[in-house]
Amino acid sequence: MKFVEHTGQETVIKLENVSKIYKGEHMALRDATVEIEKGEFVFLVGPSGSGKSTFLRLLNREETAEKGKIYVAGKDIAALPGYKVPYLRRNIGSVFQDFKLLPNKTVAENVAFALEAIGRPKSVIREAVPQILELVGLGRKEGSMPNELSGGEQQRVSIARAFVNRPLILLADEPTGNLDPATSVGIMKLLDRINRTGTTVVMATHDRGIVDTMRRRVIELDRGSVVRDQARGVYE
Amino acid sequence: MAVRLDYVLKETGSNLVRNLTLTLASLLTVAIALAFVAVSFLIGTGINQSFLGLRSDVQMFVYMNPGATAEQIDSVSKNLQSNPQVESVKFLDKEKTYAEFKRLFADQPDFVESINPEELPQSFRVKPTSTDADVVSAVGTEFENMTGVYRVEYAEEYARQVQKSLSTLNSWVRLFGVALIFVSVLLIFNTIRTAVFARRREIEVMRLVGASNWFIRLPFMTEGMVQGLLGALAAAGLTWGFDALWKRNFVNQVSFELLNQIKWTGGDLWKAIIMILVVGAVTGAVGSGIAVGRYLRV
Ligand SMILES: Nc1ncnc2c1ncn2[C@@H]1O[C@H](COP(=O)(O)OP(=O)(O)OP(=O)(O)O)[C@@H](O)[C@H]1O
Ligand SMILES: [Mg+2]
Repeated sequence: MKFVEHTGQETVIKLENVSKIYKGEHMALRDATVEIEKGEFVFLVGPSGSGKSTFLRLLNREETAEKGKIYVAGKDIAALPGYKVPYLRRNIGSVFQDFKLLPNKTVAENVAFALEAIGRPKSVIREAVPQILELVGLGRKEGSMPNELSGGEQQRVSIARAFVNRPLILLADEPTGNLDPATSVGIMKLLDRINRTGTTVVMATHDRGIVDTMRRRVIELDRGSVVRDQARGVYE
Repeated sequence: MAVRLDYVLKETGSNLVRNLTLTLASLLTVAIALAFVAVSFLIGTGINQSFLGLRSDVQMFVYMNPGATAEQIDSVSKNLQSNPQVESVKFLDKEKTYAEFKRLFADQPDFVESINPEELPQSFRVKPTSTDADVVSAVGTEFENMTGVYRVEYAEEYARQVQKSLSTLNSWVRLFGVALIFVSVLLIFNTIRTAVFARRREIEVMRLVGASNWFIRLPFMTEGMVQGLLGALAAAGLTWGFDALWKRNFVNQVSFELLNQIKWTGGDLWKAIIMILVVGAVTGAVGSGIAVGRYLRV
């Protein structure tokens, strides 16, 4: 089942009146309706606690919505049986503020781990890992340990890991939150490059400079509600 | 989806080596607990076998009054010999009884001096056909009431007492064994839980990139199984050593009246070792599976 927009583009993410209630009372997301097309770059903005991370976690079913429907690539993800959730996640790369690298594995091993974990054959891994490390600009660091890298480099590794399987969607939760502005620009260029390959990118951020410079679609959340959805938008 | 064997082996190996100190410490505790399990199994088996040994020589003594007449003795003797429940009868006359008496009280010569051989009762040593204590005492009661009989004594009484203390010991050993299996399982489980906790990031990443639950579980389970097996192997070594020590020090040594009855065969030793290997491997694997499960809930 596919959702075809009037623009002729494919809808990859669709939320219909989605509400997320934590622990029976707190409404982290309130009646959100959003449609995101293939290849879009979307910023999620809003004050702390407005529900940005919750929005992202709902998309790869780390959380489930109490109300409404969520479709990813046309599939109602609430209807997926538990054993199929990993297959949903193979289509969705995730990047975080704290990188989540494994400290006891080298750069190359960290990236290879993502492919090994989904049972990819060795021959594929041997080819894909150097290629993706080249793409993120870490061709020479493949043997380094994460603690030997700068924050920006660590984030590149985590992006490489998220993208090595060429997912349909890349979710980034404040990927520049721990980085200085100059390094952040480098990371944004990389995400932009990934987006140009046709990967849909949804990124939660507090970084006004980045949002205002890139001028992409902006969805603003406030206490769980979508209060603004603007093409080529600004931070506020 | 096929789980690649080389991946599982690599993860298992590197994780065991990485947590070497933790691995060794837990191996040692698991080994000791499992060795105790095996040892209590062996002792329990030995005690059970000693029951069989005791049962095979149940005896009964029929003591005559010191003043019993020859006719009375003759009558009891005939009755014993014709009784279908009696396998063999041996008569001890005054001389033989006195000889036996002297042997029994060799360490108290004054007491022996004070006894007049004439006053000693003559007796029959009776071996019943049945080893069942109830049958034996039924036979005994029958003769107790015959004229000239002073009283009937049962070797069974002694045997019974030994049996009783052995069976109390046996239940304690068994209880101890069961408790130790429980402790071993907890120890293995706890070790694994610590190891899994230390690697929760890895699990988180695996979930994030879309690894299936079994794919995440399997390396942990093989790791747990290998750890459990290694601990059990060390325990097997300890058990084997205990077996050798026990055989050298107690079995058939007259100076240990009770302990020398407790023996087991080489087959029992193997049974014990296989048992702890299975307990180690299964708890290792299943424990890991459960410990990881906590982190897999979607
Ligand atoms: N696991 C959880 N259990 C209970 N409440 C939660 C949980 N996760 C988030 N919340 C609550 O839901 C609301 C939205 O949280 P969320 O993390 O989505 O906000 P956010 O926009 O990402 O904030 P920030 O910008 O600080 O990262 C907050 O009030 C938060 O306290
Ligand atoms: Mg957040």
